[in-house]
Amino acid sequence: MRVTIVTFRDIFQSEAQEIDRFSEEYRKMSAVVFLDKSDAVKAGVKEGANVLVESDNGRVVVVARISENAHPGLAFMPNSPWSNRLVPAKTDDTRIPSYKSISAEISATEDKVPTVEDLLREMVS
Amino acid sequence: MAVCTGCSLLCDDIEVSIDGRSITRTKNLCRKGFGRYRSLTSDRSVPRVDGRQTSIQEAISRAAEMLRNARRPMLFGWSCSTLEAQRKGIELARRARAIIDDTSSICQGEIVDMIIRRDIPSCTLDDVRNYGDTLIFWGCDPSSSHPRHMSRFSYYPRGEKLQRGHEEDRTAFLIDIRASPTAKILAGNFVQIPPGGDSDLIDAMLAVLDGKIPKVKDKKALISMMNTLKKADMGVIFPGLGLAYSLKGRMDRLKALVDRLNETTRYNVISMVGHYNMRGFNQLLFDETGFINRVSFADGVNHGPMYSVVEASKSCDLAMIVGSDPISSLPAGIAKALARVPMITLDPHRTLTTELSRVVIPTALSGIEAGGSALRMDGVRIEFDAIVKSEYPSDEEVLSRILEEI
Ligand code: SF4
Repeated sequence: MRVTIVTFRDIFQSEAQEIDRFSEEYRKMSAVVFLDKSDAVKAGVKEGANVLVESDNGRVVVVARISENAHPGLAFMPNSPWSNRLVPAKTDDTRIPSYKSISAEISATEDKVPTVEDLLREMVS
Repeated sequence: MAVCTGCSLLCDDIEVSIDGRSITRTKNLCRKGFGRYRSLTSDRSVPRVDGRQTSIQEAISRAAEMLRNARRPMLFGWSCSTLEAQRKGIELARRARAIIDDTSSICQGEIVDMIIRRDIPSCTLDDVRNYGDTLIFWGCDPSSSHPRHMSRFSYYPRGEKLQRGHEEDRTAFLIDIRASPTAKILAGNFVQIPPGGDSDLIDAMLAVLDGKIPKVKDKKALISMMNTLKKADMGVIFPGLGLAYSLKGRMDRLKALVDRLNETTRYNVISMVGHYNMRGFNQLLFDETGFINRVSFADGVNHGPMYSVVEASKSCDLAMIVGSDPISSLPAGIAKALARVPMITLDPHRTLTTELSRVVIPTALSGIEAGGSALRMDGVRIEFDAIVKSEYPSDEEVLSRILEEI
């Protein structure tokens, strides 16, 4: 199921980030994707289940949340090191990364959501 | 009264009760600001050199030595430091013939640049409170990002000329992709656009202003919005990250709209800067070099995209990071390149960047443990004192000591 990922900033996540970026709280608030109800059905993804989000640039496993309001074709992720796995490293002439809208494939997965430590390990591998 | 450095509103009406070194009670903080105050005791960074815990002095000496030996250093961060620290940082960049860049380079730099150069008119938030009768929040969600924006300045308060606040005297529109918490507040005036639809909307708005039929689905709603916008005594546009990313490289579109609106009435722009003193850094660097970010002092003063954090992360041989967490906030592919560069990081907290740094220098939390001054999102200077004693030096002190040793 192909969607456009749009990143955003959430106040609870910002609060958790201020307090401790290595906390489980911050991970819970950050490593999520908000899906449209019908998109979730099409992708076979249930509320609270793990979902693999894969763009041309990278992939990451996060937890699926189903939005109350409809936004077919769009999926929202809080801006975080998890969503940054999907953002293209290549930039245009402005050298401003395209953080806000990223084409990605979503699918159900049994894989685990990485911790910040996992992300860091991968960064230096 | 204390000042909150949780975002670029720099709320200066915070009441704090202190017992020794801990904060026992606060008043007026929003949730985000409360997080900032609580972080005083959470997960502080420790001085480190090459993975070994050291004294702060040893970490500073090692940082100075590394900077002395570097051939293409980059100094990055700055948006969470005081003006005083930023000034030292720019001096250090000159001395080390370094590249200096800040977070505006990957967010709202293009808009702030236009405001600082006076290519588009701006005003203060106090002007907004007193006279701003027509507001456009564009690609932002103040309820989440600047939680007290609407209550202290823009939407709810009574102003000198606007005694009936939002009930009668003010109209606010929100243009965004997502039905955010702010969209709930401004439900009747929420213009939802598809990703990247900002430029098309500007075309449609300009068409209506020219008396043409706009190419949008809901023509009536847009025409009615434009009629309201035209009637403003003082309009204010608040662009956020959504607009900044959607219009990157094409900011002349925003300028075209602002210019056109200003032909018949008055419109100002205030960028919804995130970090508490990004505006300050941009202003300081501009005053010193004529550029707000992306400057190299390697050979006089040069500016350009090759001196952006995105490029310099790949080309520098040393990175000094001040009060920022680029390993977390850059696209992973670029963060990976940066992670291969030896890093010196100054930060009050443990972050993804401190975890990967050769040298970590813990610093005081500004606004709480260190005083100084900063520029609010509208460029107004706010001063603050430390409210608790700290064992950590301020960014300014650390940078001064590095400057002495280098
Ligand atoms: S709105 Fe910003 S400055 Fe004001 S209390 Fe909240 S975080 Fe702090």
